[in-house]
Amino acid sequence: MSPKIEISLNGSTVEADASATVLEVALEHDLFVPHLCHHPDLEPAGVCRLCLVEVDGRMVTACNTPVTAGAKIRTDTPTVQQTRLGAVELLLVNHHGGTIDCEEGEACDLNRIARFVGADEARLGRYRPPDRTLPVDGSNPFFTFDPGLCVLCGICVRTCDEIVGVAAIDFVKRGFDTTIGSAPGKQWIDSDCVSCGECVERCPTGSLSFTGFETPEYEVTTTCTYCGCGCGIHLGVSGDRIVSARGQRENPSNEGRLCVKGRFGFTFVNSPERLTTPLIRRNGALEEATWDEALDLVAARFSAARGDAFAAIASAKLTNEENYLIQKFSRAVMGTNNVDHCARLCHSPSVAGLVQSFGSGAMTSSSKDLGDARCIFAIGTNTTAAHPIIGLQIMRSIRAGGRLIVANPREIELARHADLFIQHRAGSDVALLMGMMRVIVEEGLHDPEFIESRCENFEAFQESLAEYDDATVEEKTGVPFAKIAEAARMYAENSPAAILYAMGITQHTHGTDNVLATSNLAMLTGNVGVPSGGVNPLRGQSNVQGACDMGALPNVYPGYQKVELPEVRAKFEQAWGADLDDAPGLTHLEILRGVTAGPIRAIYLVGENPALSEADATHAREAMEKVDFLVVQDIFLTESAEYADVVLPAASFAEKDGTFTNTERRVQRVRKVIPPVGESRSDAWITCEIARRMGASGFEFESAEAVMEEIASLTPSYGGITHDRIDQVGLQWPCPDPSHPGTRYLHAETFPRPGGRGRFVPLEYRPPDEEPDAEYPLVLTTERSLYHYHTATMTRRVPGLETLRSEELVEIHPRDAVELQIASGDRVRVTSRRGEVEAHALVTEASPPGTISMTFHFHESPTNVLTNAAWDPVAKIPETKVCAVRVERA
Amino acid sequence: MKKVHPAVVGAQPFQLAEHRPVERLFEDAEGRDRLEKSLSRYPEKKGALLPMLAYAQERNGWLSPEAMEEIAEALDLTPAYVRSVATFYTMYAKRPVGRYWIQVCTCISCHVNRGEEVFESFLEHTGTRAGEVSEDGRYTVIEAECLGACGFATVVQVNDRYFENVTPETVPEVLAQLEPGEPEA
Amino acid sequence: MGFPHDHDLEIGTILSRHFGDPKARELDTWLTYGGYEGLKQAVEMDPGEITTIVKDSGLRGRGGAGFPTGLKWSFMPQEKSGPHYLCCNADESEPGAFKDREILRWVPHLLIEGCLIAARAIRAEHAYIYVRGEYFPFTSILNDAVVEAYEAGYIGRDILGSGWDCDLTVHIGAGAYIAGEETGLMSSLTGGRAEPKIKPPFPAQSGVFGKPTTVNNVETLAAVPMILINGADWYRQWGTEKSPGTKLWCCSGHLVRPGNYELELGVPLKDVIYDVCGGAPDGKKIKAVIPGGSSTAMLTADELDVPSTYEGLQEAGSSLGTASPIVLNEDTNIVRAMRRIADFYAHESCGQCVQCREGTSWVAKILKRIEDGDGRLSDLDTLYDLCEQLTGRTICVLADSVVFPLRSSLDKFRDEYEALIGGRA
Repeated sequence: MSPKIEISLNGSTVEADASATVLEVALEHDLFVPHLCHHPDLEPAGVCRLCLVEVDGRMVTACNTPVTAGAKIRTDTPTVQQTRLGAVELLLVNHHGGTIDCEEGEACDLNRIARFVGADEARLGRYRPPDRTLPVDGSNPFFTFDPGLCVLCGICVRTCDEIVGVAAIDFVKRGFDTTIGSAPGKQWIDSDCVSCGECVERCPTGSLSFTGFETPEYEVTTTCTYCGCGCGIHLGVSGDRIVSARGQRENPSNEGRLCVKGRFGFTFVNSPERLTTPLIRRNGALEEATWDEALDLVAARFSAARGDAFAAIASAKLTNEENYLIQKFSRAVMGTNNVDHCARLCHSPSVAGLVQSFGSGAMTSSSKDLGDARCIFAIGTNTTAAHPIIGLQIMRSIRAGGRLIVANPREIELARHADLFIQHRAGSDVALLMGMMRVIVEEGLHDPEFIESRCENFEAFQESLAEYDDATVEEKTGVPFAKIAEAARMYAENSPAAILYAMGITQHTHGTDNVLATSNLAMLTGNVGVPSGGVNPLRGQSNVQGACDMGALPNVYPGYQKVELPEVRAKFEQAWGADLDDAPGLTHLEILRGVTAGPIRAIYLVGENPALSEADATHAREAMEKVDFLVVQDIFLTESAEYADVVLPAASFAEKDGTFTNTERRVQRVRKVIPPVGESRSDAWITCEIARRMGASGFEFESAEAVMEEIASLTPSYGGITHDRIDQVGLQWPCPDPSHPGTRYLHAETFPRPGGRGRFVPLEYRPPDEEPDAEYPLVLTTERSLYHYHTATMTRRVPGLETLRSEELVEIHPRDAVELQIASGDRVRVTSRRGEVEAHALVTEASPPGTISMTFHFHESPTNVLTNAAWDPVAKIPETKVCAVRVERA
Repeated sequence: MKKVHPAVVGAQPFQLAEHRPVERLFEDAEGRDRLEKSLSRYPEKKGALLPMLAYAQERNGWLSPEAMEEIAEALDLTPAYVRSVATFYTMYAKRPVGRYWIQVCTCISCHVNRGEEVFESFLEHTGTRAGEVSEDGRYTVIEAECLGACGFATVVQVNDRYFENVTPETVPEVLAQLEPGEPEA
Repeated sequence: MGFPHDHDLEIGTILSRHFGDPKARELDTWLTYGGYEGLKQAVEMDPGEITTIVKDSGLRGRGGAGFPTGLKWSFMPQEKSGPHYLCCNADESEPGAFKDREILRWVPHLLIEGCLIAARAIRAEHAYIYVRGEYFPFTSILNDAVVEAYEAGYIGRDILGSGWDCDLTVHIGAGAYIAGEETGLMSSLTGGRAEPKIKPPFPAQSGVFGKPTTVNNVETLAAVPMILINGADWYRQWGTEKSPGTKLWCCSGHLVRPGNYELELGVPLKDVIYDVCGGAPDGKKIKAVIPGGSSTAMLTADELDVPSTYEGLQEAGSSLGTASPIVLNEDTNIVRAMRRIADFYAHESCGQCVQCREGTSWVAKILKRIEDGDGRLSDLDTLYDLCEQLTGRTICVLADSVVFPLRSSLDKFRDEYEALIGGRA
């Protein structure tokens, strides 16, 4: 808090924040000072000249003039008023063709200001403005730019630069001819624009306007259904349709900001392709059925598959309450720990690794605090594409002078912003990180005090560094060692330094080692237990953190309480009134393999699409084809649902109540915005109904809130969480009791491990399972597009997103392309030991020589048919990031 | 390759009759030399932007979108930013212009010394309309704001040369000096 | 001295002594003219001493605003916490002004020497000379001199064996008047649109690349070597108490002998126009003079008997500006001439501030329609209104610049406007 000072405002003495601007003080005192180029999120520009006021008799722009003690501010002198009126008239003449009213109505700030200053249409006529029609840029599917309504306040330009860090648009030309434009010779859509709509949201005049939105009757605040950033979002409703979206400014996770998927990606909810009725396979075909028919059939078949013949695959897209119910159902009703979900395929090594070193497997910092880091080390995360809102925090950190180190086999967008970009070989992370740590120790840049007082096993770890000599590290990573040493120094010398990572670290046969390497690095430099530092696995799905927290995992109950521990098991047996299995169940891949080579006869597959998302997807399809009884519960008829015996239509995130826990451990409300589409029902209702029909008790909940009460009573880290407490803003776990304020960053004082110390783990470099050879000479790595999400069941049903990216692209380096005689746009066939896929090629230097990359969003080109299901021995995550392939023209 | 001292590398005449077009600016030795030398004179890469825009025009005769993109990449800027800067300044040709880019000052001091008539005379003698490239590709004639030689009105700039005290009557002499067989250095 | 015409007023010449002498561009010859003697002194001096001498000389900025040069230098931090920069403003673009180009093309080494002395005074390690893009031929002359000076050890490492390092870089613009504005120049030099910036921060706190910076005009810097060699009092033998020294005049428009003249400040304006430049050709009378470049208020022929000092012209309701009188004879259509001036400012507005972007353009459009016979009397009120809107409301003074000639032309030549309007309401 800055000190208070006294100033005179139009003759009255008022108290003001010493760090405030004149404009802020005036607005705070309900004294409207017209302004068009000011926005509280942006640095002041001072160009619209509407906020000119008199301070001590001098005309100054209120937006960028700080108040000083005793200053005499007047916003009401004739000169001030005449200045405003004159400027408004000049704008109106050019902006509206000489009229005050515009179709934007109250949404147009100029319109409002014109009324406020008393602009008179008759006076505008004296300018005799000529007709001026400027071409509208309507190239973007989500918004249009009409230069005729533009007042050149520059808010869009500054938003794109200061907040989004993309700078896709800027002023073009100068003086009276100035306009806003994108890259040379290109329309908006063909530029670097990421279509986030942040500029549109801030445009004061409607020059930039959303094309698909309607004015809502009311808005409901909920949490975005896409990635783990967990953005607060106001969804607008008209009738029973969602018609608009905007970010929730009070939400600390996103502070009002949204990405292209969050803002525009809600329309899948209203898609005509939604499942609206249960389906039962009869004579080989899925036919419509009633809920009673479907549920009774499921209950009967599940009743016959109790125990280890049953497995449930829950979902990171469901709420906490629903994941809780599914694991409870599996354990208490079906009598098995065979329950897992897709976190196995993305972040199981984070849980396994971070629990080993820190005692807790989650992001240690808060998203917002990352923006205050002095150094960000982003390894194996394409943050701007996969976690765009956390990407904004990286931009904020850079803008404040923080250093950015990016390590990625691909030249991702972030690389452009990096102080240091390390393009290491896919799968060489341990060598890279251990090499960095050897430099840090050798040069004395480590934090002996932290190591001594907070950690254990340092000596053994230190010994293991010796084998990472310059030559070895260079050979494994393919990066000049000097660069790695520079990264080591940059990271160690700029504290707090935060490590961010995602699946580039985890999806390896040595994923757990990779994670351990990051936690070693953070402990070595004392970057744990501080805000804006730590190790920060960026979780992929809206509730992947929550699904793990809720125990949708084969080895733990909610809150990571181990199933093997008798006292834990006793607690749950008592709470659930059932005998519980004491052995951990099967993991995701083991469940599917268990169909062919094990006991699995019935699978309850909820909100998951292994047909596209599972490594070696052909094998997954075979398992789903073969299993005796497959129930798929989803909002669309996914590629996996086509193998189902029964399909149960679920309600979308916008049609039910509950909570999501985002990547920064913040438990937030999900709200029913519209009624469920057709006959779809919430996943909670469906699971409870199956349990009820199987004669089980303990599933009679009146609301999601009641489920959360049960969760809180059994899960220490959620002990203080209730729907009431998180009504407006979520709480970050651990939150053990109702008076606990939540935990902004982890491990401040101690680590939740026996002894309370963080553990260093010595690491040995292991190569990827599959390396290129003569037959399969290239490495395939997988990635994500900003415009699509997971297997794209939702995003490909959003027409604008499909416009922005409609197909798979095999990204290949020009050198390899020349050798293979491939040009951009050529159809190519990619073949691995497991299968082949066709798609168009994109020749780009973003892919390093020898490595190609593909997403897994497109069912027409199912990339995971190619990937390798060899798994990490600890976390059992398949190596989706590296496999050997060959490419040829199709 | 022309040897240029780093201190003046960003101050080379960039509107010339003779061009040495390249598809990629920084893939030959000269381009790399200009870029590196320019970068060495400023504490931030961005400082080299105007010199590099000028260099692109020196090589190609105009500033193409592709050149702007390439410069953006070389200087870690975005294409939109480079376009924004390029379009702010009048001397960067955002479209191809004639071999002789003739700028006739019609600002106040030249205006009162028959600047407009000189301009008309140039249009007449080159057979073009304002801003157009003549059919033979030789000429583009435009009106210019003050060229900073007001005591020598009317002032005409053709590429990197100044012609002073031009009158409507002496326009053919000016054109003759551009022509033939005396390529401008 | 003058160029291309001489004059017979008795004054010492500081800047123009070698105008017209191509040999002066060459270092060897220049050294025989006493070149770089000031620098030799400067490298032995403490930065503060240099600043004191320049302060005492009363040298005022020759770019138009007339700010005391030594005082400006003294705003630079005394203790360095990072690089300092000197920028020499050679973006000469004010209609009527063409003095810097003469310095560039005849005495480039004088400017280089001035830059280095100033750089030493402000503790800069790098001086940039920002030359307007159009000046290719003159920039080439400067470039040759810079390379020569580098090779001879006057610029670069260990200058003249003093252990002091200073680089100098020539940077060219590409057609933007506003790049001549101090903060616009800095925006442009750092690779941006030449958009002026709100002060504070002032350049001496945060200028080029965010570092302390001083921007000085070519003519200002070119005066420095002689001041350092001969002392402050020597410089003060010319001019007045508040406007000491000599000034390069740029005389254009309807004149018998237009051109450059180095004159003592304080010479009556009418003497410059009539005696030095020979008045209007062909026996025509003079209707008006815009005394300090196009952004100063017009004076009528009856108002020319004023001393040509910063303060003298201010009292006469105009400004010395860059001392660039533009002379308009009796046949001049004032509205049309004014429209030409307005066109210039509309064309050169950077477009940031609403009043300037929109207002300068409207001034030009309204003047054009009056000129074309489509004016109304109410247009004159609108023009006066615009004069209000364009005064003191914008980041820089480009908008104000059009107001000075506009308002004075409306006040002093209203009859010409009304004649073109012909009574239409």
